[in-house]
Amino acid sequence: MHFLKKFSVIIAISIFLLLDLPFLGGVSNAAEYPLTVIDETGTAVTLSKEPQRFISTAPSNTEILFALGLGEKVVGVTNYCNYPEAAKHVEKIGEISPLNYEKIISLKPDLVLAYGGFQLKDIPRLRELGIIAIVLEPLNLKDTFKSIKMIATACDISDKGSILVDNLTKRVDYIKSKVSNIPISSQPKVFVGGTSETIFTPGAGTLFNELITMAGGQNIAASLSFWKKISPEFVAEAEPDIIIIPIGVMNQEESSKIKEIVSERNGWSNIPAIKNKKIYIVNEDLFYRAVPRMVDGLELLYKIFHE
Amino acid sequence: MNKSLVKNTGFINWKKKLILIVLFGSLIVLVIGIFCLNFGVVTITPRDIMHLLINGTQDKTTNLIIWQLRAPRIVLGALTGAALSTVGGAFQGILRNPLADPYILGVSAGAALGACIGIAFQYITGYAFASYLPLFAFLGAMLSLYLVYKSSKISYSANSTGLLLSGVAITFLFSALITVLLALSRRELHSMIFWLMGDLSAANWKKISIILLPVFIGNAMLFFSALDLNALSLGEEEALHLGINTGRLRIRIFLIGSVIIATVVSFTGLIGFVGLIIPHIARLLVGPDHRIMLPIAAFLGAVFLILCDILARILLAPTEIPIGAITAIVGVPLFIYLLRRKNQ
Amino acid sequence: MKNCHQFLTLKDICYSYTKNRQILSDINFSLSESELLGIIGPNGSGKTTLLNVISGILKPYKGEIFIQNHNLNHLSIESIAKFISVVPQNTWVTFNFKAKEVVFMGRMPYISRIKGESQEDYKISREAMIKTHSLSLSNQNIQKISGGERQRVFLAKALAQSPKLLLLDEFTSHLDLTYKYEMLNLLKNILKKENLTIISTFHDLNLASIASDRLLLLNDGKIEKIGKPKEVLNKENLYKVYKVKPILINHPQFNVPQVIM
Repeated sequence: MHFLKKFSVIIAISIFLLLDLPFLGGVSNAAEYPLTVIDETGTAVTLSKEPQRFISTAPSNTEILFALGLGEKVVGVTNYCNYPEAAKHVEKIGEISPLNYEKIISLKPDLVLAYGGFQLKDIPRLRELGIIAIVLEPLNLKDTFKSIKMIATACDISDKGSILVDNLTKRVDYIKSKVSNIPISSQPKVFVGGTSETIFTPGAGTLFNELITMAGGQNIAASLSFWKKISPEFVAEAEPDIIIIPIGVMNQEESSKIKEIVSERNGWSNIPAIKNKKIYIVNEDLFYRAVPRMVDGLELLYKIFHE
Repeated sequence: MNKSLVKNTGFINWKKKLILIVLFGSLIVLVIGIFCLNFGVVTITPRDIMHLLINGTQDKTTNLIIWQLRAPRIVLGALTGAALSTVGGAFQGILRNPLADPYILGVSAGAALGACIGIAFQYITGYAFASYLPLFAFLGAMLSLYLVYKSSKISYSANSTGLLLSGVAITFLFSALITVLLALSRRELHSMIFWLMGDLSAANWKKISIILLPVFIGNAMLFFSALDLNALSLGEEEALHLGINTGRLRIRIFLIGSVIIATVVSFTGLIGFVGLIIPHIARLLVGPDHRIMLPIAAFLGAVFLILCDILARILLAPTEIPIGAITAIVGVPLFIYLLRRKNQ
Repeated sequence: MKNCHQFLTLKDICYSYTKNRQILSDINFSLSESELLGIIGPNGSGKTTLLNVISGILKPYKGEIFIQNHNLNHLSIESIAKFISVVPQNTWVTFNFKAKEVVFMGRMPYISRIKGESQEDYKISREAMIKTHSLSLSNQNIQKISGGERQRVFLAKALAQSPKLLLLDEFTSHLDLTYKYEMLNLLKNILKKENLTIISTFHDLNLASIASDRLLLLNDGKIEKIGKPKEVLNKENLYKVYKVKPILINHPQFNVPQVIM
């Protein structure tokens, strides 16, 4: 008798625990609205219900929304939201700054995913008009993953967010472990430059710089902070082994022309990257945006540097 | 004999003329303003608008768009257009220079520097200060006003050249500082440039309540100096011979005009061309008598800027074209057309 | 016959723009009411400066000016403007006012900024234009009419100012022959009828001689001679000041000296 009781209690508890297991993964299945998150600006944003209509005011936020499977619920994107393909067909709200409040309001969003940076000043007005906005401005890989998880939580799909982030983290760790086996001497010196006469290059604190370092390269501008204008002499002196040129969408012809222009730049003929024809053109979106595709960029860089 | 003299002098009391202009002008601005509520990214039918105006709330979104976005923008545009035109006309008068505009005496460069510093500051301290940006701009404007005032007294205080030179010099100095600031900022660059281009889209009723009084009172004070401005066109000495204290007049107009501009520009950025061209258009239409020209310029400027803002809003919707570009693109052909008609 | 009390008196007037350049020194003279004084002298002798000192816009560093026993220094420029009006040499206007609007500006010292002008102001302006034969120019653009026409308009403006003392700077220099004498006659008429006192600088010695009751000959900022035309325009004075030896004849009609080269 005594034993049966104990056994049934154990069974009951086990069943109870088993049933509970899915719930332990996160707060998701329980509808926990109203829900408050703290965004990048330190503002506590409260969502009163699960958002069904999203507006993204930055291409990076658009990518994140689609990556989390919320693409169908996105009702407004900026002129620059070009990924994924489906995003191109969503209604446009215009520029990134100044925001077209009228257009945003008319689309009746439940949540606006906003950007920091130069959009920051438009946010107070947006909130004044009764719009719920979460501001994202992750400056590195880790924060990007955090932001993705935060959005997932706010939208009651935190398990999706965790899965996405876990997969990305796995890929990143893989690259990291491979790189840890590469000695510094074998890590190529890298210069990131555009096609224009005036050279702007990413330094410490930028996403690009972080990706380069993680991929086992040495950014010649690592000592500078953020994006800086540098002189051609700086580049010539640094003698990079690899030149990366980030560009928007383009075709074969244009890319070979660009490589030519860069190779023939005044005073650069002695640079190893040019002598060895190690000039690579990459899709800038993979490196400028704090999005899952950054990991694609990371893997691309690893390939360029070490294979 | 007396009667014929009266008839021939064409005597109409100046005051009556002014009242007519003010009433008529206000009415026109009001009508056009309401008409402009129709325009925007979102289509709202005129019927809905009239219903909203007369009865109150339609659906919440429409209400928000009309009352919180479009209406304040139109009002801000009217006030800004009026302020820029009146001050532009007044400055053209005291400097005796048809190429003068409200920005020539340095206040705008100060506001711009203040705003750019404010924007840079924002990034260091976080955006809690975003709403204080107009204050930064205004303080910058007051600084440049002080510098221009002081340096014009050092140089030729007896004529307009001294004031003009001081204004131009300080403008160059501040512009140089702004350029340095722009060169040093990468992240804030975008915001700074947009501020410099001028923008009415951030209008709200609170901002309007702040600039309403300075613009009205300042404009009224300028209207009262209109007669003296007429005399000044005859020359510095001529005006003195007519009993006008030109030094005092100049400083008075400079200070009043600068405060009006500083207040408006702190909220709207630098909208160009309006203050230069509208006084000329006003002169083409009603002649150079400042007592008539300045009020006409105010109303013309209000209407002009409101209409330009519509174009800025709808031409490439949902992208907004900077309003300073529209005022020039629209204003230049208009001006040339009026000029040619006058000469025929 | 001269009045006992002097209308305008200048005592020991000295003026200079900078420390080094002395423009006027030791200017002493008196004018009676209804007198026309002609100021003559070579370029740079200080004629215009003297006019500007008398009108009050240039302040001499030494000496005093009395108008009807009032010290000019103690008067505000508003009150001076009701007393003295000036027709300048240079009549450029920045904006395209109509001629009648320019004349109307002469009434400014009398118009309250708040109340505005009255019927009377318009009447006076119109009468001034009639007197100066410029009424036909009423609606013309002041920037577009000829120099001579502009000067008549500016004379009308100066008359509209209802002055007691009228100052003219090289007034006849742009005028056609048609108008030269007519305007001078006009001035002499107004002088008598309206008790106006006139000081005018002249480039043309002969015109000055005919028009003026007295002449003041300036030489390098100092008074060379002041007196009736016969007293001033003689061989010694002219040689001293102009370094020439012209022929002098007597004008058959006006009985004043005329200079023939």
